[in-house]
Amino acid sequence: MSETYNRREVLQAGTLAAVAAGNALAQQQKPGEPKIIRIGIVGTGGRGTELLRNLVRLPGVKVPALCDINEKNLARAQDVVVRANMPKPEGYSRNETDWKRLCDRNDLDLVLCATPWEWHTPVCVAAMNAGKHAASEVPAAQTIEECWQLVDTSEKTGRHCAILENDCYYRETLLILNMIRQDVLGDVLFAEAGYLHDIRAVKFGVVPNGEPWRIEQSVNRNGNLYPTHPIGPLAWWMDINRGDRFSHLVSMSTKSRSLKEFAIKNLGPDDPRAKRDYKLGDVNTTLIRTEKGKTISLYHDTNTPRPKEHLLRVQGTKGVFNSQMDKVFIEGRSNHSDAENWKSVHEWEDTAEYRKQYDPKLWQEKGALAANGGHGGVDYLELYRLVKNLQEGKPLDIDVYDAAAWSVIVPLSEASVAGRSKPMDFPDFTRGRWKNRPPVDVDAIV
Amino acid sequence: MSGELDRRNFLSLSAAGLALSGSGFAAQTSSTKPVRLGFVGVGNRGSYHLDCALGMEGVEVVALCDIDDQKLYRGKRWVEEAGQPSPHLYGDSRTGYVQLCEKENLDCIICCTPWQYHAAVCVAAMKNNKNAVSEVPIVIKLEEAWEIVETHEKTKKWATMGLEGYGNLTLMNMIRKGLMGDVIHAEGGYVHDLRMVQHSPTEEPWRLEHSATRNGNLYPDHPMASIMRLLDINHGDRFDSLVSMSTKSVMLARYAALKYGENTPPAQRKFAQGDVNVTLLHTAGGKMCTLNFDTDTPHPREFFRVQCTKGVFMSGVGLSPRGGAPAGPAARRGQDAPGADAQAAVPAARAAGGFGSRGGLIYLDGRSPVDDQWESADAYFQEYQHPYLKSYAPKPRKAALRGHGGGGTVTPVNWERLVAALRAGRMPDYDVYDSVTSSVISPLTEKSVAGGSLPVEFPDFTKGKWKTAKQFDVE
Repeated sequence: MSETYNRREVLQAGTLAAVAAGNALAQQQKPGEPKIIRIGIVGTGGRGTELLRNLVRLPGVKVPALCDINEKNLARAQDVVVRANMPKPEGYSRNETDWKRLCDRNDLDLVLCATPWEWHTPVCVAAMNAGKHAASEVPAAQTIEECWQLVDTSEKTGRHCAILENDCYYRETLLILNMIRQDVLGDVLFAEAGYLHDIRAVKFGVVPNGEPWRIEQSVNRNGNLYPTHPIGPLAWWMDINRGDRFSHLVSMSTKSRSLKEFAIKNLGPDDPRAKRDYKLGDVNTTLIRTEKGKTISLYHDTNTPRPKEHLLRVQGTKGVFNSQMDKVFIEGRSNHSDAENWKSVHEWEDTAEYRKQYDPKLWQEKGALAANGGHGGVDYLELYRLVKNLQEGKPLDIDVYDAAAWSVIVPLSEASVAGRSKPMDFPDFTRGRWKNRPPVDVDAIV
Repeated sequence: MSGELDRRNFLSLSAAGLALSGSGFAAQTSSTKPVRLGFVGVGNRGSYHLDCALGMEGVEVVALCDIDDQKLYRGKRWVEEAGQPSPHLYGDSRTGYVQLCEKENLDCIICCTPWQYHAAVCVAAMKNNKNAVSEVPIVIKLEEAWEIVETHEKTKKWATMGLEGYGNLTLMNMIRKGLMGDVIHAEGGYVHDLRMVQHSPTEEPWRLEHSATRNGNLYPDHPMASIMRLLDINHGDRFDSLVSMSTKSVMLARYAALKYGENTPPAQRKFAQGDVNVTLLHTAGGKMCTLNFDTDTPHPREFFRVQCTKGVFMSGVGLSPRGGAPAGPAARRGQDAPGADAQAAVPAARAAGGFGSRGGLIYLDGRSPVDDQWESADAYFQEYQHPYLKSYAPKPRKAALRGHGGGGTVTPVNWERLVAALRAGRMPDYDVYDSVTSSVISPLTEKSVAGGSLPVEFPDFTKGKWKTAKQFDVE
């Protein structure tokens, strides 16, 4: 938690504001029209602006306020709204915590946070305390305490806190979920996934749209700093917080070589960033076990030279889906030599037929709309689903318990690595309710 | 990492049509003194090794031991058919191997029993002034590993997994020559659906008993044969700790229910072994290995990857990553088929059919033609072919090899090198310390799994000599 952020102060202010906001939230909805959802965005850099471009395409969305410390980014974002034929949003850029004033407005239903990582929880907590729903870019929190803060605040205020995990809406994520629901893969036993993406240039900010704040995270931290992209889909497939839950993890990192070498080569040996050491191991692997005995191998590697890989393998009792190779093996359906000896062979099968047969409804219906919506359409779809659930007053697809359980992998993996891979227990953020919460219904995601 | 982990791969190494310059071996192996061997266990796997030995010049099979008469007498017949004197037979009891070790005058024992007897046979051999080669794993308990090391140091005889493979020598050469920078991380494993092999009374039903009572990585040696060499384990670096995690166990009982019926005893048995086990191994030098073990789920064979500071290599059976395409997220995860570039990268991996000495996919920072895109490793494999392979010519056999792993028509390289080592009076390439280091992963993972994935210290069998031991190589 940042030093400039005083928790008590915000909680007190928030309680009062929540009462005030409650009145303001009464909607003036006409029959037949989608309910109006008024959204403020905190952080309008590359990511926040991308989200905004998708938001303004959604029926019923209004954007009265935007916040960014960088005035250029703020103006660019305001322009996006104006060009969508909506009033110019009020801008907040006085100082690093100007988002507090944005949260205190009485004309917002949802505050969306796309700042650097360390501000995600403070912004979401302030928003909820001011009576707004909150949605955070990933990860939603950096420490175990922050995860609890999100859960506690959401429960206390009755406001949602979503995590904007776009990977959950990939056509393939929902395809696999559908194949699980239709019992094609059987019960899920194991999955291997990871965020394997050489973003050294982005982290060091030597490319346009770089995120130079990100390299600072690699200086003193060591673990899986970015787990939620692979974990979101896995959590849906494995019924995490909905019939099962993460029980414990162990985490291991390699030595750190690639960041310093990159800095020396690209910034010159005299650059301060080339002279310091980096704690973040080049490759981190985390093993997670669930209460019901499923396991996950989770990779994190943003440092080494490798083609961006969609490493993903889901093993069920009836077969396996290998996304990286775009292949499946389904027992009884894919080729399998009958020889009853060591030479029996299982043959990988192309996924094309399965993709047709189990194509998720959301993509059939909204795929064309989503097509130019960033990250292959999932940025549009995640916001479409978030706004739709808010409009209809339904539970969110991804809620505060997911935000906490997925994000807490960051601090737990750091603690495990620091303790020579000692096992770390996951807190049960649902306080036992994971047993009875219904699994994600793929047919209801439309 | 399939082909190379698989025994069949030796055959592919030897049969790969590597430069047939036909000289090398005769020179290395020319000696008039015959090499005398005794076999303990001549079942499925043992009969294959027996057949390998019987096809070689100057190798005598003097004694056979097996509690199964049918297998024992089949072995006797093969020896006689090879024109050798009738072997001495030991089949009366489970300790027949002790009498064999005591009575026979042998250079080496070849042990191909069920796992639980490997260490005992090796120790008995060394104590009776004989060397021993064990099938994998050489030990299944930590105490056995130390007993083998101590017996070796006391008797000066050795026991190793001297018939284990050589992995991908060319990949090793590429890394040693600096093409890929320093090794950071390797992922491999043994992923092979052996539900039938475990359940079938005519295959290896003793394996099922291990799955009933143990839970960990029960079969680390095939992947380790490559990975340990790439990571310089015991030769400049060493494993210092591991953690291991298993899923629940449902597949073995489920298979029995489907095959024999729900209410049969095999279907109602409780199995300890989790269906999928993953182990993370850490080295003193800060490298890491992710090691998979899964013999129970429906899954094609495994793949292999090694990540270095300047590049990455991967391979797998029948697989071709979509990553060959420009990695647009839509192409990766959406509805689109892989791009033409990915298709172009496919044949290399597919033709490779695995690891072996052949292709795979590679990406080299600043050298691969397209940023962020896999290319076929074939050209690099030609350029960096291991010197040993350049002059290596496998010796043809009269008939194809029999037994599990059989079918090949040349003498496998591991047999050539074992016999050469025996003639030269030196330990096989895969030495005592490498052997126990590889196999002891099993009991260490069992300990970690039993403790809820607790970190387990890795013993240093070399007692510090790993720091100065020279890099493994084949000369």
